[in-house]
Amino acid sequence: MHPPAKGGKGGHIVAQMRPSFRMTIGTDPTQVAGVSRAFAAFAEAHKVPAAVRRSVSVALDELLSNSCAYGSAAEVSIDVELQADRLSVTLSDDGKPFNPLDLVAPDTGVPIDQRPIGGLGIHLTRQIMDEVAYQRRAGRNVITLAKLLP
Amino acid sequence: MDISTRTRDRVTILAFAGSLDSNTSPAAQQAVDETLKGGATKVVVDCTALDYISSAGLRVLLGAAKKLGGAGASGGFRLFGLNQTVGEVFDISGFSKILAVFNTEAEALKGF
Repeated sequence: MHPPAKGGKGGHIVAQMRPSFRMTIGTDPTQVAGVSRAFAAFAEAHKVPAAVRRSVSVALDELLSNSCAYGSAAEVSIDVELQADRLSVTLSDDGKPFNPLDLVAPDTGVPIDQRPIGGLGIHLTRQIMDEVAYQRRAGRNVITLAKLLP
Repeated sequence: MDISTRTRDRVTILAFAGSLDSNTSPAAQQAVDETLKGGATKVVVDCTALDYISSAGLRVLLGAAKKLGGAGASGGFRLFGLNQTVGEVFDISGFSKILAVFNTEAEALKGF
């Protein structure tokens, strides 16, 4: 019997299994709620800190409801992975090329009675996440998000 | 999300528990509409059990604030008990500056 080797000669590199889950939904707005519930259950099962869970929940709601309301996609896939230092989320849809991060941030300094209702979601997502990026990849819109663990 | 309503003196207190997001905001909107239709002129939102809020939820609060006169001295809309994430969302969106936010229920009701 050999002791477990870590990457040494003849040993096996055993990849650390990172907690993750994947979901694919259509773009019926009611399906966003299913993602919220699944993510909350995942976060609870893997003891994700509440502040991280809440921030990611906000970003998921913003981006998915945005896809459902304005996008041209038929389906969106959601990949969540808990890494050593961060929670990473990848959203990928099959719609026309569209980078929601191009949307201009609203002027949040205007008086209450002059504020247009809405238009805040992307701004919130950018600010509340530590990393937000868009790529057009293999005919899909791919948004990657990360929130660092405290 | 669970929504409950109580009154203290002439103030209606709406408590939102759970998440106020794209899924739950229609129910929250309905609760606000019914409260206003019932003639309430002073409304306090109890956020102590509010887990998180997205822009869909902010829209409901902004609509109520507009109808009740905003955060000014004569405004009829106040909130209290925001957790760190809800507070952060309020700061990012500028709502902290335009809405009357208090730490506790007692502070929110004082002089209202």
